[in-house]
Amino acid sequence: MTAVLESPPTVPSRLHRARARWAWGLGAVAVVLWSLAGAGLFSGNVVNPAGRAQFGRFAGTALSPALDAAFLQVLASSALITIAYAVLGAALAVLLGALGAVLVARTTWGRRRLGWTLARGALAVPRGLHEAVWGLLLVNVLGLDPWVGVLAIGLAYGAVTAKVFADLLDEVPRGSYDALLAAGSGRIAAALYGLLPPASGGLLSYAFYRLECAVRSAVVLGLIGAGGLGYQLALSFSSLRWEQVWSCVYALAALCLLADVGGRAVRRRLAAPRTPGDRLARDRVLTAAVLTTLALVAWSWWYLAISPATLFAERTREQLGYVLGAAWPPDTDGGLLRSIAVLAVDTVQMSVIAIALATVGTVALAGLAAQPAGPTGPGRRLTGTAVRMGLLLLRAVPPPVWALVVLFVLLPGVLPGAVALGLYTLGVLGRLAAEATEELDPRPRAALAALGAGPAAGWLYGVLPGATGPVLAYALYRWEVAIRDSVLVGLLGAGGLGALLASRVGAFDWAAVTTILIALVLLTLAVDLVSARARAALR
Amino acid sequence: MVGPSGAGKSTLLALANGAVPPTAGSVQVLGADVAALRGRALRRLRARVGTVHQHLELVGQLRVVHNVNAGRLGSWPAGRAAWSLARPQGLPEVLAALARLDLADRVFERTDRLSGGQRQRVAVARLLVQRPELVLADEPASALDPALADRVLGLLAELATEPGGALVASLHDPALALRHCTRVVGLVAGRVALDAPTSALTVGDLATFYGAPR
Repeated sequence: MTAVLESPPTVPSRLHRARARWAWGLGAVAVVLWSLAGAGLFSGNVVNPAGRAQFGRFAGTALSPALDAAFLQVLASSALITIAYAVLGAALAVLLGALGAVLVARTTWGRRRLGWTLARGALAVPRGLHEAVWGLLLVNVLGLDPWVGVLAIGLAYGAVTAKVFADLLDEVPRGSYDALLAAGSGRIAAALYGLLPPASGGLLSYAFYRLECAVRSAVVLGLIGAGGLGYQLALSFSSLRWEQVWSCVYALAALCLLADVGGRAVRRRLAAPRTPGDRLARDRVLTAAVLTTLALVAWSWWYLAISPATLFAERTREQLGYVLGAAWPPDTDGGLLRSIAVLAVDTVQMSVIAIALATVGTVALAGLAAQPAGPTGPGRRLTGTAVRMGLLLLRAVPPPVWALVVLFVLLPGVLPGAVALGLYTLGVLGRLAAEATEELDPRPRAALAALGAGPAAGWLYGVLPGATGPVLAYALYRWEVAIRDSVLVGLLGAGGLGALLASRVGAFDWAAVTTILIALVLLTLAVDLVSARARAALR
Repeated sequence: MVGPSGAGKSTLLALANGAVPPTAGSVQVLGADVAALRGRALRRLRARVGTVHQHLELVGQLRVVHNVNAGRLGSWPAGRAAWSLARPQGLPEVLAALARLDLADRVFERTDRLSGGQRQRVAVARLLVQRPELVLADEPASALDPALADRVLGLLAELATEPGGALVASLHDPALALRHCTRVVGLVAGRVALDAPTSALTVGDLATFYGAPR
């Protein structure tokens, strides 16, 4: 055998590490350490020993949720309210997104870069604010009206949807569109024939994904008073009825599972629709899904007793005029700006710790959560199911509720908010990572197994190299989401910019609110920018 | 092995390395029943069988050196496999193997940046460091120019026959089969339709198997 390897080795070229990636990696480690130090992990006590008994009572009731008929009835009607908000909010978002996409697509603007940049920039404002922030602002204009919840979801999601829809349209290869234009067709007709068909799968798929997300957002809006499961959960929590809390948690998990499974089924089907080739017919399942969704929209409209009249009422106009008048010019008082700066650092640290926690957890769990490619033993299957259920529970419960739970065992500060956000993000990230692992080409790993590599070596050489990129990209993307969510956690009391915002809104100090909102939008923009750069370095 | 597309050449090779279990009968490889082995014993046998897969099945995101070193995962403990990802182990052997294939200058390149022919040679280099006793090659020369194809098949044959083993290759080029093999088996629809020593065959005999008269 040595004969084959006998020829003298040529001078080895040096092993070059990708410098940019190392710089980003070291930077990330430094930022995480700085955040942990800021949260007081290395200095002073963060654990609250007195809360352990309370936590024990809470955890102890996990397996004995409240199941009496009266409460179940309350739970069912709460779930319906949540679903109605989610459906209407998502529908409004898709409507706004479709209109907005035309306004911000590159195709619309062509070579006029300035107009395009301005249109994109205008989207950053609604996108930078969490739907709960929108809810808080709208409730002061519209009063306690179902429109608050619907508009909050619709506006915040509409802006994201517009951006994604526009990107999907812009990513379609230009060839057929240009050919139609060259053949003399108008721009709208050319877009209908050359751009929309190739993009439609992605557009519809994203619309259903938004519907899934809207369920979670509707729960969060419930926490701040819009009613539904979130409201019930907060109520049970504040009255220390742990059995009821667990019932709510399980109901939330069931709802999330329903949205996940349904949404995923529709999206899978969209990727490979079943239509006969010999006659004009649509895929039945997809048609049913679209019709059901439309019917749900109509039902939600009726169930929430929404009336467009509220939007155009005299009182609404007066209130809006008053708030806008008081909100401009923004408050530029030195003290306010200083406290905003300090709290912005808190908010960033909270989100960084949350993402670091979630990423570590994801790396540990993704391998177990992914459905194995080949046949496996019952033990592995059982672990996999348990991990997937655990991740589902983590993401079904909104982060502010996790914060309340974490506060049993940790002293108030940045850390409990970060841990809460980290738990929730782990639920989302873990699932994304598991899906990324499942979608990897299984053949390289099979080839390694065929030459005798063990499971650990097969994972190291066959899965890890392919999964690292997507998982880190997801983690960075979730960081953008986490910075918005950390405001939400703050709104409900965990500190940071959210807490300041809640107190200024409560005091009707609209000029200060404007300043805080500007700071929030700038902060989210900065995080988006850093994350986008880091993801580009990963590629 | 020769035969038209879908004749079962790849399946036969997959049966031999245990990637596919037989639905009936048994498969004897290097004196053992592949389907009956489990765990460590199966891994030990598989480490003695080297495969060049049709679609190469290399890990695109890894550098060439790691993809070549992957040939040793059957004998390396997991800790050494992990450490090698940080500090490539056994570099001289990897370089020697790549040098035989004119690829030593790409050793630290990411594998997905290589052309199809270069990747094919990386897959062969993986076998050179694995040092198997039985070499299974599924279209090992499909993306190579004639001169390189000749050299790669020569290397594979040398690699297998030196420790007294064998090379089983599926080939689309009758001339290559006649030049490098001692025996030709023709498969049609999963059945053996031809089994003869090379000396009794001509290029024309084999060409009929691909339905392309020459």
